[in-house]
Parts: sequence; structure tokens; C-alpha cells
Amino acid sequence: MSHELGNIALETATKNGASFADVRIGEVFDEHVTVKKGLPDDISLRQTGGLGVRVIVDGAWGFAGSVFLTKKEASQTTKTAISIAKASSTLKKKPVKLTSQKARKDKYITPMKKDPFKIPLDEKIEVLLAAERLIAKQSDLIKSSSAFFRAFRENKLFMSTEEAELTQQITWCGGGLEAVAVRNGEVQRRSYPASFRGNFSTRGYEFFESLALLDHAKQVGQEALQLLDADRCPSAETDLILTGDQLALQIHESCGHPTELDRALGMEADYAGTSFLVPDKLRRLKYGSESVNIVADATVPGGLGTFGYDDEGTQATCVDLIKRGLFVGYQTSRETAAELGLKQSSGGMRAMSPIALPLIRMTNINLLTGNWKADEIMEDTKKGVLMMVNKSWSIDDKRLNFQFGTEIAWEIKNGSKEKILKNPTYTGATPVFWGSCDAVSKDDSKMWGTPNCGKGVPGQSMYVGHGCSTARFRKTRIGVLR
Amino acid sequence: MDTKDLVDLSRKTVKVAVKKGADQAQATSFLFDRALTRFANSQIHQNVASRTGGITVKVVTRKKIGTLSVNTLNEEKIADAVEGALKIARVTPSNKDFKSLPRPQKWTPVKGAFDPRTAVCTPSFRAAKVKDIIQTAHSRSKRVKAVAGSYSTGSSSFAVVNSLGVSASARVSLAAVGVTVISEVSGSQGFGSAEQYSRVVKEIDHIQAAEEAAEKSVKSVKPEKLLPGEYEVVLSPRAVDTFVSFLSYMGFSATTYQDGQSFVKYHLGEQVFDDKLCVKDDPRDPWTLFAVPVDGEGVPKKSVKLIDKGVVSERSICYDSFTAGKEKGKKSTGHSPPPIVPFFGPARPFPINLIVSPGHASIEEMIEDTKQGVFVTRFHYTNPVDPTKAILTGLTRDGTFLIKKGKLSKPVMNLRYTDSMLSALKSIPMIGKDLQRTGDTTAPAMKLQKLRFTGVTEY
Repeated sequence: MSHELGNIALETATKNGASFADVRIGEVFDEHVTVKKGLPDDISLRQTGGLGVRVIVDGAWGFAGSVFLTKKEASQTTKTAISIAKASSTLKKKPVKLTSQKARKDKYITPMKKDPFKIPLDEKIEVLLAAERLIAKQSDLIKSSSAFFRAFRENKLFMSTEEAELTQQITWCGGGLEAVAVRNGEVQRRSYPASFRGNFSTRGYEFFESLALLDHAKQVGQEALQLLDADRCPSAETDLILTGDQLALQIHESCGHPTELDRALGMEADYAGTSFLVPDKLRRLKYGSESVNIVADATVPGGLGTFGYDDEGTQATCVDLIKRGLFVGYQTSRETAAELGLKQSSGGMRAMSPIALPLIRMTNINLLTGNWKADEIMEDTKKGVLMMVNKSWSIDDKRLNFQFGTEIAWEIKNGSKEKILKNPTYTGATPVFWGSCDAVSKDDSKMWGTPNCGKGVPGQSMYVGHGCSTARFRKTRIGVLR
Repeated sequence: MDTKDLVDLSRKTVKVAVKKGADQAQATSFLFDRALTRFANSQIHQNVASRTGGITVKVVTRKKIGTLSVNTLNEEKIADAVEGALKIARVTPSNKDFKSLPRPQKWTPVKGAFDPRTAVCTPSFRAAKVKDIIQTAHSRSKRVKAVAGSYSTGSSSFAVVNSLGVSASARVSLAAVGVTVISEVSGSQGFGSAEQYSRVVKEIDHIQAAEEAAEKSVKSVKPEKLLPGEYEVVLSPRAVDTFVSFLSYMGFSATTYQDGQSFVKYHLGEQVFDDKLCVKDDPRDPWTLFAVPVDGEGVPKKSVKLIDKGVVSERSICYDSFTAGKEKGKKSTGHSPPPIVPFFGPARPFPINLIVSPGHASIEEMIEDTKQGVFVTRFHYTNPVDPTKAILTGLTRDGTFLIKKGKLSKPVMNLRYTDSMLSALKSIPMIGKDLQRTGDTTAPAMKLQKLRFTGVTEY
């Protein structure tokens, strides 16, 4: 049925004057299991699907999508895309140009050992309830305790007038824990392994099992309680060590988004903003120190942004963004790559569903490992603060000035982790901050998954990944709230 | 397919669920027809339309709840969806906090919620408007380098039916325009933006939006650095919207309140804000955008005074039937999110029809009343730092100006603020007399006695 609908869409597009067309047909299964305070909170399955047709007519884009998978709707949706493209063409400066692409017929399936959708629901609920109960047990001051599981599957077919025919099944899952301690109006939260529902990976249920929620539940509860009695993070300029769970979001906001070429070319100016990494600065701007090497890698096993092909049929690849501190590359689409004179797209075009337009989205934006051991970074720091697990985030519309808060911090004195600090925050300017990075560890690198990156108008949510390890940043301003 | 068809589909779904053994069942079906023409660098670059429909089935058996959503309005697939929801419910533990799905209450449609012309705008109609916007902005000044934004039109319908007799539906239309203008002089960029929302496309003044964005943009070039610190501020309605929306997100949902994570819980009956500040959530106010009479459970939406003359109280909290059932004597206020509201977060009751009461001042009067302060067009990337203390951080964007001796003096580089709303909104010397729709909020401009800026950008 899918291929038949795809052919109808492509034939309709060609007959009606499209010089190029692609069609995506697919379905998404999204299972949420949340338990909270000893009770099921959200046990649900969301199924979406449909088809989306992208056409170029008279040198301009048109796109239409529909959830109704019938032959008539495939034809009608394509005609709608054609009429939209014709309207676009009345306001074009120059015709859309795409980088050339080898037409492929291929299949990709996320490798996994245990299909998360085949694991009985009651088994997942049992695991979550056991971990959640252990958090709650720590104290009556734990006013909210939650455990999360989520599994996601996307089955999709991509076809184009360039004779591409790609089928993919992308699956990911994961979960986490959260404890909220409240006393006299003060609220402290601890999460595991990361905030905002945990960590996620393009692996099977074995990834969720590897999180071992039950083994960490007690500590999560205990640390939430300890934060109530902790000293506040001081206001100072000091050395800052970030563990991977927080560094992942730092990379996401201050490197991932500004290296999206659509932003740099002004295409997102009305919503998320532009980028300080404009094309003039490519291969010229010193983004960070020599220790900073960042890539966009859609091939890394287990990354949440790992796939076979992006949503315009470009094969997954790895591109350099920052090399030895120098800004050297962008995340691109076929159109933006051509705009910049590049031969190939970086393969970053993805849409949150078949009926949404693909945009340049992060794949896995990874900070490559350095030469230090994580313990050595700590031991080498005379005075500083270690911050862990994101709590709040904000960055300007060119991705320069940022401010982050984390759930917990520790004072570092003479190379050892001392007392806990609460309400930690740090702030800085992107190139200054990354320029102050003098140590990246080699032994605790891990993939972190962000399932809810927002972008575009209308808004889309996308799953992306970040590989990183513990790193140190000299002379950073901390403690904004004091 | 119209709302009557959606009601029929929901009714059939509930019937199937009860027949298959559900103690209680609810079906919410929806249909969205939306189109958006997006432009950047003074040309259309993304132009889209989509048709989305679906149904969410919620079944309850011995207090075990199962929910399944499917993107289909195909009757033949109803039985599968119901079976899927029942399968989830069977293996789910009982939820002792669940009392019942809501019982039917009388409701009436909101007049003027749906404009048929807005629902059927063509791509060429939107393209013509975009052309006007781009031409208007460029004609304002040679300094205008690029115009970006979007023009959207469409309609959304939904119907809720449950096994206790609830049967309700709503249909709304929505038009919106957003314009961002980038100007440039000697390598220095200036940004300006404006937006408008309406249920009726005819009310959108796209030329006015283009002129406003262009004027701010041209005036914003060559901004100077202002040192962080506490300043008097004059906030445009869009900037006020950010503060009020985040307050409502953090404070007025029964879920955050019951979890002890709402600032309201710790200030019941207190005058936490200036006594001039009144905020209500009212789906029937003519200003409200998402004018739906019922919530996602089919309960009539009630008008709730969230902030009454600066005071927050138990009456400020917004409930759905589940959270109301957890507190003795509480009833749903009709705040279960309806499917028409785009919301990526977890489902919980929250207000979507926020109206801030107007005052008596004009923006010009607020500026005249300010010795040294900052005018803020809008905020960017605001997020809570500490929800129970209502501390937010974010940045200014698209037109930030220094006010000196009662006059707008010069553009300043965007500033980061980090402040508690309990402090920032404690002293509001003046509130604007004109209201503006800013999405799900309607707000006037405001002058605040002080706002704490903690950082500055480089542009």
C-alpha cells in the first residue's frame, strides 16, 4: 500500500509540473509509561502516521501532508503541495537548487536485542513502581517521586522522483527517575540518569535494563534530601567541571543549534533566531580551545540521532563541526549545502512525522574525547565546582550568551569533591566558554539522548543525541542567583 | 467532516468500549486543517499545509485506566483502538485517586469562535499577504536587509463523548502573522518584530505588523552596551505575555500545586503582586483566542481569577476531573487541555485563555514616567530557574531600547534577566490601556519598578 501511494504521489507531482518531488509515508508508535507517587500516571500509546509530499514547481517549494492514507488523499495532497509551490514561486529570488544525490534503494533497521514493544507492559510497570517506591521510602519530605519509560518506533518509506526508495525502522527507548523533596516552600529535585525523564538510546529494551533504575533510586532520593540542607552555590569566577549529562545540553544549545546552516542563513530568523556562526566565519573563527573537537555523527551506535538515511534520502554520515577549536563545518540539507557551494548534504533533514516538513535537525552532536581521565581532571583542580544534571537552560537567539542551572553541585578543594551545593548556575559567552575548556576526559564518554528538541514554525519536536564526557572550563562565572 | 461527524465517531467509540467491558469510557476525536506560509530573506522558503485527524480513547475498568491515541478517523479502526486501550488498562494497577470521568453539564458554544473564511484561505491569498509584508518592510528604509516571518490560517475541531453522557464539541478558526525584520548599517544589525493573532483573518493587519517590525528594526542598529543591574522597565504586551504565561505554567495547574511545586501553594491569600495586577482565564472573553466552551474532557470551561488584585488563593488553581477528585470539595474548572492546543509536555490541567486586565496608561506615558530604564519588545528563551520562587531567566530580543529622561534614547544590546516574578511584579506603577493578543494570552503593556538584568549579549 505504501509504495502504491508513494507512486501515486510522485506521478501526480510529475504530471502537474513538479521538477522534483519526494514523498514520505510512515507510522509512529510512541509508548509512555509513567508511575508517580505509587500510582500509574500516564500509561498510553500514541500512534500517528500519514504521508507528506514535497515538490519543487517553478523553482519553489511546496509541501502538504495528510494523515489519511488513501489513493484519493495521496493524489489530493500532492495537488495541494503543487498549488502551494506555485504560490511560493511568486515570491522567490532564485530557483531552489539541490546538491546532486545518488539514488538508492535500501533498508535500515535500528539494531537491537530486545524489541521494547514486545516486552509486556506489566513488566515495565513493575520495574518502574519498584524504583519509584524506593525513592518515596527515603523520607516523608519526598513529596513527589516518579519513574519513566518511553519507547518510540518510526516505520517510514521515502521515495523520490530521483528514484530513491528507502525503508527504515527506527526504534529507541529509555527512561529515568525523579525525586522532588519539599520543605518549608523550598523544592529540590534530583533525577537519574538525566533530568526531563531520563536517557534514551536507539537500542532495544536492553538499554532500559542497563539503566538499572532500582540500583539508583535510593541515591536519587537521598540527594534530593541532602540538597535541602546544602549551602547555596556561591557567586564567583572559578573553574567549572561539567559531567556529560549537563555538557550534553551545553553542546546542544551552544554548538548544535548555531551550526545548523538554515539558522546561519537566516531561515529561522522569525522564531528560534539566527547564529553567530555565519558563513563568513567558516574555517576562520576560533570557536574553542585546542581540546574542543565536535562532530555531527548520525552513524554512532546507540545515539538518539542515529539512522540510516535522513528525510530527504541522504545517507547517514559524520561531519566535523569544530576541529581543534576551529569552526569548520555546518549541519546542512541538500538545498542549504548547495547554497554554500558544498557538494553534499550532511544528512541532517528530519521531520517529526510524515505530515511535517523536514528541517535541518541535529543528529548526534558529539564532543570527542580528550586525553584526561575523569578522576585526573578532578585531582588537578585546586578550587572549583562540579555541576551535574540540568535543571534550567536559556540562550540568546544567536547562541552566544547562555545561562544554565543544574540540579546539584559539589565544591572542589585541592582535587577532591567536598560539600554539596544547591541551586547551582553558570553563565558565559559561547566562544569564551569553549575557549576556556582545557581538559576533556577519555574514560567516561557516553551518549545522551534528548527526545524533545524544538524547532520550526509550525513547531516540531525531534530526537537528537550528544556524546560527551567530563570536561573542565577555567574561570567561569557561577552562582548567578546570589 | 464536521463537528457532528466527530461527535458521532466519538459516540460510536464509547459504545464499543462499554460493550467490550469498560466500566467507563471517553473518546476525544479531532480534525485540524492548518496551513502556513513562512518566509525568510524576503522570500517564501517554507510553505506547508496539513490535514490531521485522530481519536483518543480512554477506558476505565476497576479504576485501571488505559489510553490510546490513533491518527485515524476511520470507523473500521475504532474496535482496534478500543481493544488497545483495554489491553493497557488490564495490566495497569488501579489508580485509587481516580474518582470518575466527568458527568454531563450544560454547555453552549462560544459565539464568534469560528470564521469559515479563515478556515479556507488559499496559498495564493497567504502569498499575496506575504508579498505586502515584504514590500512594506523594505519600503520603510534602505537599511532593511531581510524580512522573515509566517502567515498562517486554519481551523481545528474536536468532540468529546463519555459513557456518563458527556457529549460536547467545539470548532475554532485561527489566523496569525509574525514578522521579523533585520536591518543593517556598516555591519551592525538591528532586529525588530511584531505579531498579530485573531480568530478572523480579516482582522489581521499585516501591513501594520510589517511597519511596526521594520520601524523597531531600523531603530535597533548599532546598539550600545548597557551594564547589567536593576532597571525600571517598560514591557510591551508581548514581553508581559512571557511573564504571565510562565507564571500560569508554573503556578496555576492543580498538578504542580498538589505536588508542592507551585509558588501559589506557599502564598495563599497573600498580596504577592501589585494590587493593580489582575489575571483571569476566561474562554468566553471576546479577547481570547482559543475560544472553546469545553475542555478536553467535555467539562464547561469556567472563568478563573488567577491573580485577583495581586492576590493568589486556592481559587486561582485550575483543575481537571482527576486532580479535582484528589481534593475534598473540589470540582473540575474545565482545564483538561483540549486537543487543539499544541503542547509537547505531559498532559496536566492548565489555563489557555489568559487575559491580563488593562490599566489606564499609554506606552508613551509609561516612557515619559521613566527617568532611566529599558524598553523591552519581547523576551527570548525564557525558562524557570526555580518554580516555587517564580524565578525566571531569559533574554530581550527584537528591539531593546534605553529610556532616558522620559524618552526612548538609543538601542541597547540584548540583556539577560534573572529575577523572581514575585519581586518583579510586586511594584507595577502603570499598566497599559490597550490590550493585544499574543497567542494564548491577551495582555497590555506594563511599567515595572524594577527588573534585574544579570548579563548582556554582544548584539
